Amino acid sequence: MKMTEIAIVGGGPAGLSAAVSAAASGARVTLIERDDHLGGQLKKQTHMFFGSKKQYASTRGVDIADILQEQLAKYKDRVEIMTDATVIGIYEDGILTIEQNNKYIKMQPQRIVVATGASEKFLTFPNNDMPGIYGAGAVQTLMNVYGVKPGNNVLMVGAGNIGLIVSYQLMQAGVTVKAIIDAAPRIGGYLVHASKIRRMGIPILTSHTVKYAHGKDSLEKVTICKLDEKFQPIPGTEQDIEADVMCISVGLSPLAELLWQIGCKMTFVPELGGHVPLRNGEMETSLKGIYIAGDVAGIEEASSAMVEGRLAGLCAAKGLGYEAENYEDLRKDCLEQLNSLRSGPVGEKILKGLSKVTA
Amino acid sequence: MRIEEHPILSFKKGEKIKFSFDGEEYEGFEGDTIASALHAAGVKVLGHSHNHNRPRGFYCAIGNCSSCLMTVDGEPNVRTCTEKLKSGMVVETQKGKGVLK
Amino acid sequence: MLQNTGIPTKEDIAGVTPSLERRSKGPVAVIECYQKIPCNPCYTSCKFGAIKEFKDINDRPEVDFDKCTGCGQCVVNCPGLSIFIIDESYSDKEALVKIPYEFLPLPGEGSFVTALNREGEPVCRAKVVKIQNAKYQDRTPVVSLTVPKEYSMEVRFFNIEDYFSDNTYVCRCEELTMGELRDLIRMGYRSVDEIKRISRAGMGPCQGRTCRQLIMQELAKATNQDMKDMPMTTFRPPVKTIKLGALLGGDKDE
Repeated sequence: MKMTEIAIVGGGPAGLSAAVSAAASGARVTLIERDDHLGGQLKKQTHMFFGSKKQYASTRGVDIADILQEQLAKYKDRVEIMTDATVIGIYEDGILTIEQNNKYIKMQPQRIVVATGASEKFLTFPNNDMPGIYGAGAVQTLMNVYGVKPGNNVLMVGAGNIGLIVSYQLMQAGVTVKAIIDAAPRIGGYLVHASKIRRMGIPILTSHTVKYAHGKDSLEKVTICKLDEKFQPIPGTEQDIEADVMCISVGLSPLAELLWQIGCKMTFVPELGGHVPLRNGEMETSLKGIYIAGDVAGIEEASSAMVEGRLAGLCAAKGLGYEAENYEDLRKDCLEQLNSLRSGPVGEKILKGLSKVTA
Repeated sequence: MRIEEHPILSFKKGEKIKFSFDGEEYEGFEGDTIASALHAAGVKVLGHSHNHNRPRGFYCAIGNCSSCLMTVDGEPNVRTCTEKLKSGMVVETQKGKGVLK
Repeated sequence: MLQNTGIPTKEDIAGVTPSLERRSKGPVAVIECYQKIPCNPCYTSCKFGAIKEFKDINDRPEVDFDKCTGCGQCVVNCPGLSIFIIDESYSDKEALVKIPYEFLPLPGEGSFVTALNREGEPVCRAKVVKIQNAKYQDRTPVVSLTVPKEYSMEVRFFNIEDYFSDNTYVCRCEELTMGELRDLIRMGYRSVDEIKRISRAGMGPCQGRTCRQLIMQELAKATNQDMKDMPMTTFRPPVKTIKLGALLGGDKDE
C-alpha cells in the first residue's frame, strides 16, 4: 500500500494548481495523471488566455502548462508525480486504486483532490458513429499534440468557445473550415473569437443543426438544416456541405465517476454541465477530506479551474495541519478571483448553477 | 496529413518507426500513438462494431470512449488513441470482442 | 447581429470608432470588443493609460483616443485578437491598417494581398508595408497594410492570395490591369473617357468591346455611382480595324 498525504487525481490546470498550493503549504503530494505528461487540455491550447494577470491572461495555454509545472518543480522534494497512471477506483475507506503500466497499485491518502476534468458530449443524428466524426477535443489532440491534420474540409458543430477555438486552430494547421453551425439562435462562445473567425470568411450559422451524415466508410457529406424558435427543423432549408471531418463541440460533462463511487452527494445542475458534487466554500465535498477542482466541479473556463485548484490545494493542506503562512490572504484572494471571473454576464449561468451546489 | 509548419507550435518529429497494419508496412514517428500514426497515413477506419458491423474510427483521442479498440501484437482491445507506437508493432483490425487467454 | 453571425453591426462599429479628426492625426487603436467578458490585458498592457481603468474585469475597454499613441502593445496582448491600429495620416490617399495575424506563411514585405472585411469578403488590394514579429509579441505577428483611406474602418483581415493582382486584366488590347485601373481611379480619374485617355484602354483593336463594361463597373463601385448616370465614351468610326488601302481606294461607286 502506497501512502501519501494528499492525492490529486488529474494533472490538468486544476490538478496542477492544487498540487502547487498544497505542496507550497508544506504537504506531501502525489499527483496522478492518466496521460504520459502533465498539463491536461492546456497542452492543446495555442491561443492566449482571457482573464487577468493572475490567471496568466495573454499567455498561451500550452505555455501555462509549462509555467505550472515549473512552479511545481520547486517542491519536488515533497511531490510525487505519477504519469500513465489512471485512478480506477476510490473506496469508502478512502483507498485509491491505480493502474499504471499494467500494474495495480493501492494508495492510502489522507486527503484527496479530484480534478478529473470532463468528457465531451455527443450528439444524435443518423450515421453519427461514422469515422470522420470526432469530438472537437479529439481533433485538437490529433493536431496540436501529434501534429496530424484530421482531414481537409471540416464542419464544426457548436459555436461555444471550444468550437470557435478549435475552428481557429484548424485554420492555423492549414485545414479548411467550411462552416460552424449551432442549434442555438445565438453564438455561445466569446464574440471576439467568433469575429476573428468570421473575418476569415467562415460562416457561422446559428439556428442550424445536423440532419444527416453521408459517406461509405467515412464521412463525405453532411446535410444541415435550419431550426425554428422551438428548435424544430424547418422543411426545405436543407443544404449539403462537403466535408470529410465533422467536429462535435456541443459541451462537456463533468467526469465524476470517482465521486459517485465514494459516495459524495451529487446533484444534476444543467448550468454546470451535468451531475456535480455538493461542496462548501473550501471546495470540500459532502465527504470530509474529499475535495474537488476544475471541470469535475462544474464546467467552466480553465482560468477558474486553476483558481479552484489553488483553493482546493490550500484548504486540503490546511485540513492536515499544513497552514500556509498567509493562508487567510491566499484563500481570500482565490475567492476574489473566482468572484471576479464569474461576475459578468457570461458568469451568470455559472453562478446560478453554483447556488444549487454550494453549502 | 502531417502539419508541416505551424504558427504557434513546433513539433519535434521523433525517429521514424516502422509497424504493420493488417499485414502492410506503415511508418510513424516516435511520440505518435497508434491511432495518430494510422490517421497520418490516411487510415480512418480502425475497426467495425460488433453487432451491426459499422465502421469505427477514433472519436475522443484521450482514452474515454471505445471507438479505437484494435488488436496490437496479438492483444485485443488496445485503446490505440492513447497507446504509444513502438517499432515493429503488429497492429490488426480486431475481429470480435477478443478472447481471454 | 453580432450574436448570431459574429459580424458586428454598423452601430457596434460606430461606437468604437475614433473621430475622423483623430484618425487623420496619426495611429490610433480601434478596439472591437463588444461583449462583457472577464478579460483585461488591453488595460493592463497599456503604458500610456489610454485604456480607461477596469472597475470590474468584465468591463468593456474604453479608449482615450487622445492618450493613445497607436503603439500596438495592446494588439498583441488581446487574447481575442480584436484590436487594430489605424493610421490615416499615412499618405494623401492611403491609410495604414495593422492586423494581428497568427498564420503561416506570412506575406512578404512589399507584396500585395487581398484585404478582407469583417465578413471575410474581398474589399481591395492592399500592400504589405511592414511585418512586426518581435519576441515580445510571442508569436502574434502584426501585419501593416496600406489601403485606400475610405477602407480603413472596413479592412480587418487579409488573404495572402492577391485576388486583385496585376494578373487580372481589364483591357487585353492595351494591357491595363485591375491594379492599374484602381490606382488611376484613386488618383482622381473619374470617367471612362478619362481612363481611356490616360491608359489607352478602349483605344486598341477591339475598341473597348472587352474592357468598357469592366471599367464602368469598377468606376461605379469605387465612386459610388449608378451606371445609368455615368457618361459614356464618345463613339467614332470605324468600329473595327480596316485596311488603310480600303480607305485610300475610296468608294468605287462615288
